[in-house]
Amino acid sequence: MLNALPAAKWNYNCAAHLYSRAGFGGTPEEIESLTRLGHEGAVSYFIDYDKISESEDRPDWAKPDPSRAERFAELQREFRAEKSSEMTEEQKKAEIEKRREALREVQRGQIRDLEQMRGAWLQRMAKGPRPLQEKLALFWHGHFATSAVKVRNAYYMWRQIDIFRRMGSGNWLALLEAVATDPAMLIWLDQAQSRKQHPNENFARECMELFTLGEGHYTEKDVTEAARAMTGWSLDRLHEEYAYRPRLHDTGSKTILGRTGDFDGRDVLEIIVTQPQAGRFISKKLWTFFASEDCDPGLLEALSGVFGASGNEFKPLLRAMFLSEEFYADSVMGAQVKSPVQWLVGTIRLLERPMPPPIVSTEMTKDLGQDLLLPPNVKGWDGGLSWITTNTLLARYNESAVLVMGRGNLGAQGDGRPGQKMAAQFANAAARNLAPAEVDLLVSESERGGAEALIAALARRFMRRPLEGEHERILRDYLGSRTEFNDGQIRHAIHLLMCTPEYQVT
Amino acid sequence: MKGPFSLQTRRDFIRTGVLGGALSWTVPAFLSNTFSALHAEAADAATQTATGRDSTILVVLQMAGGNDGLNTVVPYASDHYYKARSKIGLPANSLLKINDQIGLHPSLAGFKDLYDAGHLSIIQGAGYPNPNRSHFRSTEIWQTASDSEQVERYGWLGRYFDNACAGADPAVGVAVGRQMPQAFSARAPTGICLNDPQNYRFMAGRRTAGGSMNADEKSFRELNDAPSEEMENSGATIGAISGPSAHHGSVMDFLQRTAMDAELSSDKILAITKKTRNQAEYPVTPLARSLKLVAQLIAGGLPTRVYYISQGGYDTHTNQTGQQERLLSELGGSVKAFVEDLKAQGNLPRVLVMTFSEFGRRVAENANGGTDHGAAAPMFVIGGKVKAGLHGQYPSLAPGDLFNGDLQFKVDFRSVYAGLLEEWLKTKSEPILGRKFATLPLA
Repeated sequence: MLNALPAAKWNYNCAAHLYSRAGFGGTPEEIESLTRLGHEGAVSYFIDYDKISESEDRPDWAKPDPSRAERFAELQREFRAEKSSEMTEEQKKAEIEKRREALREVQRGQIRDLEQMRGAWLQRMAKGPRPLQEKLALFWHGHFATSAVKVRNAYYMWRQIDIFRRMGSGNWLALLEAVATDPAMLIWLDQAQSRKQHPNENFARECMELFTLGEGHYTEKDVTEAARAMTGWSLDRLHEEYAYRPRLHDTGSKTILGRTGDFDGRDVLEIIVTQPQAGRFISKKLWTFFASEDCDPGLLEALSGVFGASGNEFKPLLRAMFLSEEFYADSVMGAQVKSPVQWLVGTIRLLERPMPPPIVSTEMTKDLGQDLLLPPNVKGWDGGLSWITTNTLLARYNESAVLVMGRGNLGAQGDGRPGQKMAAQFANAAARNLAPAEVDLLVSESERGGAEALIAALARRFMRRPLEGEHERILRDYLGSRTEFNDGQIRHAIHLLMCTPEYQVT
Repeated sequence: MKGPFSLQTRRDFIRTGVLGGALSWTVPAFLSNTFSALHAEAADAATQTATGRDSTILVVLQMAGGNDGLNTVVPYASDHYYKARSKIGLPANSLLKINDQIGLHPSLAGFKDLYDAGHLSIIQGAGYPNPNRSHFRSTEIWQTASDSEQVERYGWLGRYFDNACAGADPAVGVAVGRQMPQAFSARAPTGICLNDPQNYRFMAGRRTAGGSMNADEKSFRELNDAPSEEMENSGATIGAISGPSAHHGSVMDFLQRTAMDAELSSDKILAITKKTRNQAEYPVTPLARSLKLVAQLIAGGLPTRVYYISQGGYDTHTNQTGQQERLLSELGGSVKAFVEDLKAQGNLPRVLVMTFSEFGRRVAENANGGTDHGAAAPMFVIGGKVKAGLHGQYPSLAPGDLFNGDLQFKVDFRSVYAGLLEEWLKTKSEPILGRKFATLPLA
């Protein structure tokens, strides 16, 4: 199990597979240069991403803003003061409305910030120098699935994603502790409001069930005891940072997963990660995300063995995965349904076109079924076949037309609420201004000269598995016996390729 | 009677695809050509259609996150209730009284009206043995109708499709939203998923002429109140739980089949939503929007037996009161409008709505004005022919009767499913639920 792929088997297809799993897909040129690095070199290119320099500018939404909290507090104070004084019903109503409007204004700002952040993240995935860093951030975002719906603070959301970037290939306990004391998580699972008199179980439960052990590997008693131990983890809303509050912490004795003591939250995390099940749980989830939903017991033991032997470090585990023969098995390559983000970012990369503006990319990923920074629940997206419904498949086919042909109809409608409808209309308008893909970047002069050469070139670029015979025949019929293809015809051919089941997997 | 979108159409469609040579090169033509060859055989093998204009219809409404049943159908005569809930307990005089024991949450005026009109039944104490407090596991149990200790691959509605609707129109099941519920997972993928009829079609090559939106982003932002509603759902750790999809066959088969079902259903759905109008005043909320769409599809004669919709946000660990108020008000108002709409259409006698939530909540409130994950809770069944009134029995709140601080169930939810399958969808429940459950007489 987990044998290294023999050097002789490393080839263009393997490199292409690695590119789309450890990253978001490569162009033929990129895949060729990756192939030339050799297998180990190629894997190192992705994994040792901290050796690649990355410039970072931090917009305002990526910075704490104490004045924001101050403004909020001010509003609250005013409101209370006004309310307690002698006011008529009408005046009270007017005050409430005033406050509501002020809060709405703050929220509108947050939504704009979130949209910009989502756009900036998609941009980094598509064009940034560290594909695996962003791929891991996406994995951890789905794993610790925190939603802006409840966090309501763009800076907190950015801060959590930044933890994933900085620590996503490091140590499991360090990452867990950083996330557990991260403001977005403290809000998301109510830990910020937990106190020793009545511990809130939300974080303790989801931490064991979804983040570390899995259902069935802890008891209800473990949940309530862990919740007691975690009291004291709190949030300083004014400075927008984590705070430990000893007053709130339950110093009594707790029994968690068979061990007893005056534990605090960090102790709980440490007890959890020393469970063999914790290694199996996260190793399996990583394999599922990067390789395949099938992970037989022998393979899982091998993976979690590597993880445990390294002291719960992710880098060695990822390296072993990407170097393994199993990762390049026929049942793994070209057999993963692309997530919406993978689909969009990959399509942008393969078309070598700019990422559409945030308002359009936000609408696109939402319609495809993956609203970044707004996962449907704390378990994250189900993934796999669940990405594909009649609805989301139509969205893929329609959006690929927009990306290939440009000036497209996004057809966004909103969800019936007035504000949403306007946003959708605006996204539609922005999509109508998109430029078409530049065909010269995608096919050479000689590849334009006949159907055979053109199909071969397009398949090499866009398809990670061969076209079914029937699909290829149809494409050939479409292209006919012309000896020269213009940009429009080639764009149509690309769009048809993207409207095949084969394009939906990688 | 043959629906406008029956199997015959599917077969014809496929034949035309195979034989019609002179297709213009649009994406739909490309797809139909592709599917035709691959699926002609499958279509021929199909046997019968379970769908038709006059069949009964079930609408399943998921309240995701674990609705607090105790503050929904409130046992106001119980001292234990007020003792356990000194902060969030609802005062008796605010309730919409059902009898001298229980009353509905004040925001459920819509449900009270339906109850008084004989269109609503309350199943008290619904749950299952050995309840699980995980959102995801418990949702899975409700969606697959499995025992607590057993994992089922396919959903209970998926097994209904497999058993009773083989060869039916793909639209025999319609899930409103972007994700398929696990309840629809079937050996043979069945059912379509639909969020927005305007968008539910191939638009490539049909660029709309004269789009009038040309404001730049800045002016848009200045002119309009940008959406704030999407952030309103403040306590919602659980916005939606659809659960993983499964089917019998390869990923490629699944993709092919889904693409074909999309192509087959899209024109019809767009046509229906263009020609039908809602005949009731709905609130402006996402749940109401889903129900409006369902009402239109029913009015337009889509041969659907099961619709599935979802409302999220019920995971009220903190500050429950305002949040549940808003959600229940949305629920009651939307469903009431839906019933009125169906009544105006004349379709109310054909439709039943069933609500469920993965669990109720702990009897005792927590320190944050909220409640943690619990067990048994009420379900609602609503419709023109429902046996209105109370079913089951309110679980005792006496501390000695609780299990781990939770209410004990009185009605196995699979009895509700069995009743709906046998008496409403007119099919044997045993092959679908795996064994015989007492059928709750609901219709």
